[in-house]
Amino acid sequence: MITLKGFFERAREGQLTGIKCGGCGELAIPPKEFCAACGTRAWELVPLSGEGTLASYTVIRVAPAKHVGDAPYAVGVVKLKEGASIFGRILDVPFEKLSVGLPLRFRPIVVKEQTAVGFAP
Amino acid sequence: MRRVAVIGVGVTKFGKHDRSSGELFAEAAVDALADAQLAPSAVQALYYGNVVGGETEHQLHTGPQAASILGIPTVPTTRFETACASSHAAFRHAVMEIAAGISDVVLVGGGERVLNVPTADSTEYFAYASDATWEQPLGLTFPGVFALVARAHMAKHGTTEEQMAAVAVKNHKHGTMNPKAQFQKEITLDMVMKSAYVADPLKLYDCCPFTDGGAAIVLASEEVARKHRRAVWVLGTAAASDSMLLGDKKDLSRVTATERAAKAAYQQAGKTPADVDVVELHDCFTIAEIVATEGLGLFEPGAGGIAAERGWTSLGGKVPVNPSGGLKAKGHPIGATGAAQIAEIVTQLRGEAGPRQVGGARTGVTHTLGGNTATVLVSLFGRE
Repeated sequence: MITLKGFFERAREGQLTGIKCGGCGELAIPPKEFCAACGTRAWELVPLSGEGTLASYTVIRVAPAKHVGDAPYAVGVVKLKEGASIFGRILDVPFEKLSVGLPLRFRPIVVKEQTAVGFAP
Repeated sequence: MRRVAVIGVGVTKFGKHDRSSGELFAEAAVDALADAQLAPSAVQALYYGNVVGGETEHQLHTGPQAASILGIPTVPTTRFETACASSHAAFRHAVMEIAAGISDVVLVGGGERVLNVPTADSTEYFAYASDATWEQPLGLTFPGVFALVARAHMAKHGTTEEQMAAVAVKNHKHGTMNPKAQFQKEITLDMVMKSAYVADPLKLYDCCPFTDGGAAIVLASEEVARKHRRAVWVLGTAAASDSMLLGDKKDLSRVTATERAAKAAYQQAGKTPADVDVVELHDCFTIAEIVATEGLGLFEPGAGGIAAERGWTSLGGKVPVNPSGGLKAKGHPIGATGAAQIAEIVTQLRGEAGPRQVGGARTGVTHTLGGNTATVLVSLFGRE
């Protein structure tokens, strides 16, 4: 099993890591103990390509206190080609070019000294 | 299991107050007890909703604080936190306490104060209900969460920004008939469409306001409730959860927790969506109302926007939704919202809602959603 800390250490190096259920094959984002789909507890670490398409997106214009200086910024949910989905910042895409289905690729970013998930064309 | 009834309700004016959340709850509770014609000594427990007390008031342990201000410091109290669904979750547990035969009279309510801090701070605190590792560091906000739902709904069903705006116009109109509402002013479709984007495609007028306020309801066993002419019965109350992470939700155009909670609540009540006369549901954002009307089975998936646009959810329409003005116009003091929605449905079923009364309402539904769509409570109410 991979911890959150372990996931983000790998992410910082550019590698997204998923977990695949040995019971039903469900692909998930860690950490999870039991598989929500079948209840099995037998995960296998799977390196993810980081490639996917935009499932939904928005441009945050009124930001929380800690992010006021960054606004406006785009965020969205990306469906990875392996099947799992993940939330992240959308980088290097003009806001008017954002669209559901847009192909994107994982890119690690650092926000407030914390490694976080980003996606760019 | 014993039957449970609501025998008293109370709600403060919603808006900006210079009183603590505990004081606001206590004001509502005084009204609820007077409505129930009970002395405070009759109360055997308090189930309390409060969300950001730790942040905006530097106050945890808000249950006993609220009870102490009300003047019932020795009753057992528990504070519930399921983000914006907190006092509806508190309600469900209070119903179970009476149904199980442990108590005969239980007070439920909530209080929230947020307008004492700047908007950027309250936006930050509300975002604490999203995931602290995956979502908060990226600057996700609650308008942001529902903007993602809106975009997915638009892509899948063709829902338009005008249809969302119709929800805001309708709820503001309803709010003009509610003297407790934060906003009692009509708005036009044009005003909504021309308001600034908060999180595209959601604009300022698609969003409910930040609100201070309190709400309380008195629950009673059948034996106690039989002495009350205006008792309204709890026909069913159910909770459902969903994955915390946005990425783990299978279809962002749906709130599956609503669908599951509704199914369980209808089943308990022996009712179907066709039996529902009036609804108070969680319109924290206009798209949230559209998706909730679908999840509650009032309209087919994808038809919620059309229903709003055609007036089917307006007072006088097929199934009036949010006659109180909803979170949008009545306001959204998050810890008190669930109890306030129940208070409105009870008022409607008693036939005491004045100009906003839904004629002949016999069966009502309340729906409250917590945070990033990971918590939903649905309850059904009816007259004898």
